[in-house]
Amino acid sequence: MDDLTMLRALGDELEHEPPATLANQRRRLLDASNGTGRPRRPRGPRGLSVRGMAMLGLAAAATAAVLVAPAVLLRGHEVATPVGARPVKANEAINVLVAGTDGQMGSGRNPARADVLLLVHLSADRGRVTVVSVPRDLAVPVVPCAGSAGGASGPAKTERIGASFADGGMACLWKRVEVLTGIRVDHAVEVDFSGFKDMVDALGGVEVTLPTPIDDPRAKVRLPKGRQVLDGGQALGYVRARYSLGDGSDLGRIGRQQRFVEAMLRKAGGLMSDPARLAAFLGAAAKSVKADSKLDLPTLRAIAESLDGTVPGSFGSFRVPVRPSASDPGMLDWDRPAAQRLFAKVRDDTL
Amino acid sequence: MVPTMTAPPTTGTCDHDLVRESWTRPEAFSALFDRYADMLYRYVSRRLGPEVAEDLVGETFLVAFDRRRRYDLAYTDARPWLFGIVTKLVSRHHRTEAARYRALQRSPGEGVVESPADRVAAEVTALACRPALAGALAGLPARDRDVLLLIAWGDLSYEEAARSLGIPVGTVRSRLNRARRKVRAALGETNPMHEEE
Repeated sequence: MDDLTMLRALGDELEHEPPATLANQRRRLLDASNGTGRPRRPRGPRGLSVRGMAMLGLAAAATAAVLVAPAVLLRGHEVATPVGARPVKANEAINVLVAGTDGQMGSGRNPARADVLLLVHLSADRGRVTVVSVPRDLAVPVVPCAGSAGGASGPAKTERIGASFADGGMACLWKRVEVLTGIRVDHAVEVDFSGFKDMVDALGGVEVTLPTPIDDPRAKVRLPKGRQVLDGGQALGYVRARYSLGDGSDLGRIGRQQRFVEAMLRKAGGLMSDPARLAAFLGAAAKSVKADSKLDLPTLRAIAESLDGTVPGSFGSFRVPVRPSASDPGMLDWDRPAAQRLFAKVRDDTL
Repeated sequence: MVPTMTAPPTTGTCDHDLVRESWTRPEAFSALFDRYADMLYRYVSRRLGPEVAEDLVGETFLVAFDRRRRYDLAYTDARPWLFGIVTKLVSRHHRTEAARYRALQRSPGEGVVESPADRVAAEVTALACRPALAGALAGLPARDRDVLLLIAWGDLSYEEAARSLGIPVGTVRSRLNRARRKVRAALGETNPMHEEE
């Protein structure tokens, strides 16, 4: 590993994700631009261009997460709710757990694993949307998630949170996320990557920016460097490619998948105004999405409508603060104080 | 079953078009914010931490907005220009920056790590060398460090870094080489495994 690579890794480690409050700086800029030049335009939430891509994207992610579910409900794919004692619902905020699994993409003998985990928080007034992503290699205590009521702690065994999915499906993952965070998770949505190619095509492709070209015979994909729109087949190769990119680690691949899915959901959120394409997307999604039974159509509609009123600047994206595990280099430990602060804000709806 | 649709055009508006548009329609400038604020925030959060980053990014765009008529429209990509402003503003916080690296140097394995999963593998390795790296960064002259970090953390090319700082490309190269030599030396001292292959 050369010095620049080491330095980049250090940089990655020091980096922080932009907080929702960064949008205040946009307002500062707009104030300045309104204060100069010709007669000013009327200002206010609606006076601005709402095309703030970065900010809109997060709302779109949340919107899409709840949008893809209805198709499934018609098919009766259901996620069971967790067993045992659960965190109390403290307010009217809604928390949705979204898991991306590898479904049939894994080989037959391996159960599906959850690769992408997002907790989407909609504030009680529906004015803010926050996406918290949870690394799948985060070590969590193993708590019972099927059958008898959980809650036993003691010198708990730990395992990767992503493995909870293999243990007992979405309900198990849901349970352990609640135990870890103390956050009442109202709904859960599961998206299977195997329907991925059709979903991308239905969206008309998804844009990515590649820092380096990709040529990966194993994933059957060749892509040039730079900004481009990938179709379903290319996208599948891109998220599968492993050996020709970065350090060849699975972590690198998962990260790419996560970014891609975020970009995809962003695009899906933009389809609200394009019913034909939205229908195609939902059709493709229907095969690969499951949700819990309480996430029914009226609930979805209520959520979608309330999100319509959100204004730019009210979205945030966070990741559960983690550090490499001291005991197992393949796992991650959460950074307890920082993570607790984040979870408390989700619980109290003060993000 | 779903028909494959052709990809939408990727043409979009280039940065210099936005800058030119903002000459007559100032609010058009906010589109540049939407494009680059997150990226600049991440960059500044690396050098100065999250406390300072938000305000500094806001200030960067205010400065850029004030100077928008001086933007050279021959350049389609505004990133080097914005990074140049960021670099100047970061230099006002040189004490904060040095203190940040020195703290890392002293306390390996501590500090808040907030990172996407895909970076973790590299981080595990970097963790071991963090004190050495941080020490090297703290010890670099500011202008060498600016070049090194624009390239390593800002992902700029040599030409772009030159444009950012208003210096010739040859100067970028010599500063970069000097900085990298020092970083390698610091790494070599503590961890011979990581000396140049």
